Amino acid sequence: MTETETSPAPLSIFRIAFGLMMFASIVRFWSKGWIEELYIKPTFFFSFYGFAFVKPLGVWTYGLFAVCGLSALLVAVGLFYRVAAIGLFLSFTYIELMDKSTYLNHYYFTSLVCLLLIFIPAHVYFSVDAYRRPALFADRIPAVYPNALKLLIAILYVYAGLAKINSDWLLHALPLRIWLPARNDTPIIGFLFNYPWVAYVFSWFGCIYDLSIPFLLWNRRTRPWAYAAVVVFHGLTALLFPIGMFPYIMIVTALLFFDWTGVQRSKQPEKAPQPPKGGAPQFQLAPPLGSWGAFSKRLTRIAFTLFFLLQLILPFRYWLYPGELFWTEEGYRFSWRVMLMEKAGYAQFTVKDDTGKRVVVNNTEFLTPLQEKMMSTQPDMLLQYAHHLCDQFAERGFRQPQVYVDSYVALNGRMGKPLVDPKTDLAKERDSLAPKTWITPFDDEIYGF
Amino acid sequence: MLKKITITLASVALLWACSTGTTDESQPTPQPGNAGSTDRKAMLTNLADNIILPSYASFKTTFDAMLTKADAFAAKPSQASLTEFRQAWTTAYTEWQKVELFDVGPAENHTLRYFFNIYPANTVGIEENIVTGLSASLEVPSSYPRQGFPALDYLINGLGSTDEAILAKYTTAPDAAKRVAYLKRITSQMNTQFTTVYSEWTGGYRDTFVNCTGLDAGCSTSKLVNGFVLHYERYIRSGKIGIPSGAMTNGVVAPEKVESFYKKDISLTLAKTAHQAVVDFFNGKSLKTGQEGPSLKTYLNGLGAKDSRTGTSLTDIINAQMAVSAAQLNAIKGNLHDEVKTNNAAVVGVYTEMQKAVRMLKVDMTTAMSITITYTDNDGD
Repeated sequence: MTETETSPAPLSIFRIAFGLMMFASIVRFWSKGWIEELYIKPTFFFSFYGFAFVKPLGVWTYGLFAVCGLSALLVAVGLFYRVAAIGLFLSFTYIELMDKSTYLNHYYFTSLVCLLLIFIPAHVYFSVDAYRRPALFADRIPAVYPNALKLLIAILYVYAGLAKINSDWLLHALPLRIWLPARNDTPIIGFLFNYPWVAYVFSWFGCIYDLSIPFLLWNRRTRPWAYAAVVVFHGLTALLFPIGMFPYIMIVTALLFFDWTGVQRSKQPEKAPQPPKGGAPQFQLAPPLGSWGAFSKRLTRIAFTLFFLLQLILPFRYWLYPGELFWTEEGYRFSWRVMLMEKAGYAQFTVKDDTGKRVVVNNTEFLTPLQEKMMSTQPDMLLQYAHHLCDQFAERGFRQPQVYVDSYVALNGRMGKPLVDPKTDLAKERDSLAPKTWITPFDDEIYGF
Repeated sequence: MLKKITITLASVALLWACSTGTTDESQPTPQPGNAGSTDRKAMLTNLADNIILPSYASFKTTFDAMLTKADAFAAKPSQASLTEFRQAWTTAYTEWQKVELFDVGPAENHTLRYFFNIYPANTVGIEENIVTGLSASLEVPSSYPRQGFPALDYLINGLGSTDEAILAKYTTAPDAAKRVAYLKRITSQMNTQFTTVYSEWTGGYRDTFVNCTGLDAGCSTSKLVNGFVLHYERYIRSGKIGIPSGAMTNGVVAPEKVESFYKKDISLTLAKTAHQAVVDFFNGKSLKTGQEGPSLKTYLNGLGAKDSRTGTSLTDIINAQMAVSAAQLNAIKGNLHDEVKTNNAAVVGVYTEMQKAVRMLKVDMTTAMSITITYTDNDGD
């Protein structure tokens, strides 16, 4: 394979914007008191399958966020870049793994970007590192690096678009038909949201947008218009839905698609560090990763390939499970399924034992409102919580507690119904990746992806 | 191409906005009643002006009357003043059932319910407070069951088996003066708390309430609905029925936990009044005219919330379930304290029906309205 080269400027701009945005996110999270709220106050945490060892660290959780924020800043300015990128990836991913009730697709996306950044020399240009060590400086880098990030973005959009090709989204304009009227007091355009056809327009436009935007951004001719669409689309979603930093992350990330050749030319004389003295070549290629040369390069290439293969396959793992994906959520996470469901639920647990003890659990005793809300609609979390209750009530003198749940879940405007078989003793069910037989059938069909 | 689409969409939107104007008449179906409307401001206005404020005013009348009778009794404890105080207490307690559900705005901020109706009364604590006098705090959580209507219930109905015995506690008993003082202290505490809430409502909060039309967690509709559902679930279903009947605790019947434990003949009246208040509020029934106006019902109808299988509207389903709960509740006669012991299955039956209504309110209604109970980000997945 021949090595295509490209300007490092877009990557540097991305590195700075991404680092600053991460830093801002951490500051925002901290200042809203969410560290305390989400990771210190709760007495129980929903860990991810296989990551039970990742737990909040008590007050040291603040330290974890501090490390994350500091790493983000260092990445932004390009100081101790590799170490900072590793620190950013590890600390951020650790934070996200602590409790699944805060899972968001854009956090997952952020983690993946941080992972890639470890292997991408985004610090060879316009960075403190390159200024301090002129040998590091390069104004050409292998195109594979920015392309890897672009590919990840493209996967995100295309899979998000594919996931919208389903009957609820396209044929019934759900859940937008539920969400938009909630915003009918938006100035000027608000009244439009009372009309179902508007929800249809938004649904179809959203689907087509997701499926086409990566290609339109990739193509030089359509790029400016595509970027304008990115700004308008994500700006609108930021206005309409409480989705935090996500729209801004996408607006910034899409900057990667510009090649900024003009910008680089004009900036290079003053801002970019000068190549070493003594007639060094005008154009330099980034040094290979570490000092292992070709071997390391090949290894990186294999790792990238595996990474992207996994990214392409993972969202389709739901095919391995029976039942409706939106209902069972088996294989739902890590698949770029965003804004697809209005799902609400109610779960009342009963714990009893053979000696005749029986209690109806007050969920607020064990969970935060957010945890309760998330738990009540997601079967794996229902099970985790049931096991927690089993342990708790065993400590309170129940002998081999049995845990039953009276659940009621409504999905995309359908009337609610039990999500879990009320006769199943969840204390006896093991958590695994195998299909959960105790989930009641959905009894309806959502066609499509 | 994309630009064209964007421009076209924008112009359509603009044209529409210009052609229809920005007045409320642009709503597709502004008619109240069973028709629907998604105009939240109209809903909040009707709820505030025709239900919440008149209910508070009506409660204030009976509550003030009770305070007068309480003062008269405190000034001169006698059979006559005790009887009048009790009657006024019963009337005010019943009216209270029609305002406790407004757990939004001032009532929520000042946790009005905690100072008015946390039961069963902690009689040991009340006696302690009587002895301690003014230094006993009435602001901490442990003090809630030592004040409000349940404490008054104990103090005027529960101190002895005869009226003579009760009167003696206020006249000849060694701590009579202290008891009178505590009685006055808790009625004045109730008065202070209620006056704070009511004067905020009449002094500006009403406008804040109707103008905060957003659906985010901090705004009226969301808080109102959250408070409304919580009230039905925790304070009607659990408090009045589920806990005393043992439906929530392994069938261990707890008659001592009924509301108005010492004046047993009114506990069912209180429960029925509270249930009816919830139904009327849901349907937007005006206290002034008895007519229904913009409400949670019309809002849900405006949203087109329905059972997608049968096509039945969600509001019909909810009202039908409410009617079943009410019918079961109304079928119980006598007093709740005895009924949970002798007619337990019927009371548990009420709980079961209320539980179905809770699910509809808590899940089907809130999901149709897109109201969340969380306060962090959420990308809907």
